[in-house]
Amino acid sequence: MEIQTKKEANATVVTITGRLDAVTAPVYEKAVIELITAGELKLIVDFDSLDYISSAGLRGLLVTAKQLKGKGGQVRCANVKGTVKEVFDISGFGSIFQMDDSVADSLAKLA
Amino acid sequence: MPGRNSIVIKLILVITLSSSLIFAVTLGYNYYRSRIILEKELEGNARNLAMSLVNRVETVLTSVTKVTEGVARSLETGRYNEAELLSLIKTTLENNPDIYGSCIAFEPFAFKASSRLYAPYYYREKGKIAFSRLEDSYKFVPYLYWDWYQIPRELNRLEWSEPYFDEGAGNIPMSTCSVPFYAQSGGTKLLKGIVTADISLESLTELVSSVKILKTGYAALLSRNGMVLAHPLKEAVMNETFFSIAEARNDPSLRELGKKMVRGETGFILYKSLVGVRSWMYYAPIRSTGWTLAVVFPESELLANVTRLSITMMLMGLTGILLLTLAVISIARSITKPLRSLAAATHVMASGNFDLELPPVKSNDEVGVLARDFQMMKESLKEYIKNLTETTAAKERIQSELNVATDIQASLLPRLFPAFPDRPEFDIFASMDPAKEVGGDFYDFFFIDQNNLCFLIADVAGKGVPAALYMMVAKTLLKSEGQRLGEPGQILSCVNNILAADNDSCMFATVFCAILDTRNGEVRFANAGHNPPLIMDSGGVRYMTLKSGFVLGPMPDTDYATEHLSMLPGDTLFLYTDGVNEATNFADELFGEPQLLAALQNGPKEELKEIVHNIRTEVTRHANGAPQSDDVTMVAIKYRGKAA
Repeated sequence: MEIQTKKEANATVVTITGRLDAVTAPVYEKAVIELITAGELKLIVDFDSLDYISSAGLRGLLVTAKQLKGKGGQVRCANVKGTVKEVFDISGFGSIFQMDDSVADSLAKLA
Repeated sequence: MPGRNSIVIKLILVITLSSSLIFAVTLGYNYYRSRIILEKELEGNARNLAMSLVNRVETVLTSVTKVTEGVARSLETGRYNEAELLSLIKTTLENNPDIYGSCIAFEPFAFKASSRLYAPYYYREKGKIAFSRLEDSYKFVPYLYWDWYQIPRELNRLEWSEPYFDEGAGNIPMSTCSVPFYAQSGGTKLLKGIVTADISLESLTELVSSVKILKTGYAALLSRNGMVLAHPLKEAVMNETFFSIAEARNDPSLRELGKKMVRGETGFILYKSLVGVRSWMYYAPIRSTGWTLAVVFPESELLANVTRLSITMMLMGLTGILLLTLAVISIARSITKPLRSLAAATHVMASGNFDLELPPVKSNDEVGVLARDFQMMKESLKEYIKNLTETTAAKERIQSELNVATDIQASLLPRLFPAFPDRPEFDIFASMDPAKEVGGDFYDFFFIDQNNLCFLIADVAGKGVPAALYMMVAKTLLKSEGQRLGEPGQILSCVNNILAADNDSCMFATVFCAILDTRNGEVRFANAGHNPPLIMDSGGVRYMTLKSGFVLGPMPDTDYATEHLSMLPGDTLFLYTDGVNEATNFADELFGEPQLLAALQNGPKEELKEIVHNIRTEVTRHANGAPQSDDVTMVAIKYRGKAA
């Protein structure tokens, strides 16, 4: 898994590439919590290049969302599709997280 | 042992060989240069020596020539009676010790008409002056026919004869200086006779032979024709010529040399002498007689000093190299001694003995540094291995505890099949293979009353100990709430609220919970984010379509809807966790829902145990040796119909 962060005008885009599972979820958590600690309270997670997400990966998303919520921040998920989308749907995460079709959409909605 | 490749041997070979080479080259060059210098010096010396000898011989010859000419001139100018003539000869002899004998030999009837031949001869015999008449002394050949008379007579000039033995008169080997004298008669010169003066070859030979050059070097004298006149080889004197020797030895170079000498040339050459020794020779002509004087230096003696010096240097060099070798051995051994003891110590350490005391190091050189570093490495290794042993022990303890935990977890899940042998209305079978020692998946089934069987399957996020701990809580809650509430939607909501109350770590579980009424096959079920089960009935195998409630745990006050399904006798429900459909192979390809569906369609359908084992086999086949990344859990339940 690789994580790239890019600061946009009103939010920070976190792009995850590869697999988000029990092994990589702690890395993701650490990276995002660092962002939050640094004061980035509007995050967009870009799932465009994510191949696979496991339950541990979902938990990682929950942990960071909860942290963000505690500080009055916001997170949106962009480009959730394919098997990742299936996992989101089955687990009910699709109805908990705010999902957008593109990073541009997310940016527009956070504006 | 390093053997022939050891540092000591290498050092000795390299240093000794290279110093020997340097020494040999130096010595060779020194010998070569010395020889050249010596040869140059030798040529000068030889020339000087030869010239001084030539001069001495020439002095003698010249004085004899002058005296003889003087006598001839006085005979031409004055008139001498017989007594005066004899006195002239005798006085000449007395006054010139170099002259052995002297004679005035007249042409026939030239002295007086009464006698045909007249040749008075004075010579030295046993320290006294003796007298004879040559016309009488020569018994077989009259003096007129001897070379000493005939050649100057014919040539009309002074002539030195070739050396000869004066048989009958002087009776010694000699050379004679002959000067013709004439009577003036009306403008014409009329030959009257020949004045001679003999020199003893012996005295001349002594003069030459007295010259000693080095130990066996010598001077030699050759006549105009190459006859050997003076030479240490006595038997050659007066018997051999240079050319006869060259002929006998079949040595053209010697003949060439002889020709040069006869031509009156001067030279300095290296040749093989008459006594067969390689020698340097300087030769120069004696002008007045046309003889050649040669000075001969044997090469070996000439180079003796150089050779001796070279041998001394070689001995010194060899001694030096020997000392150097000993020094190298000593240094190399002193260097390698600690290395060797280190190597021995390393060998012991290699077998695991880190308590070994390393040999003490005194030196401060590279070997000393190495030994000290080695000592430190030994301590570090010892410490490291100690830590490793402790860590391993701790790990083993944890491992054994985990094994116990695995057993405990396994014992919490119902494992005895058939689970309800006294209930013919349904069959149930389940299995769980954890990915790690303790898993996050679980299943359960229990009767909540006489007729209703609650069965559920769940997957806690993550694996290992944290998942197992959470699983224990969830499983306990689900069972107690299930028995209390008897309604799947309510059970999940209630358990969710309990779990969410204190869940900072955001752990969660997906749960599919159902209750079967064994009297009519009615199933009530609710889903908390779990994979949809498959239903196998008369219509085939298909995934159930159900509402996906949110996962259990993270959010309180989540609603879970209870849905309904009617099972006919023979219908089967197949529940699984994502360890089945998300099993991967080395190419990271998922087993996937379509393949699961196909495996159920094509596999056995009657015996639940066979169905479950078939899927497990298919999953293992798909993984093809790739490690199992998640717990693989399956529950299958078949409704048989109301008991008779």
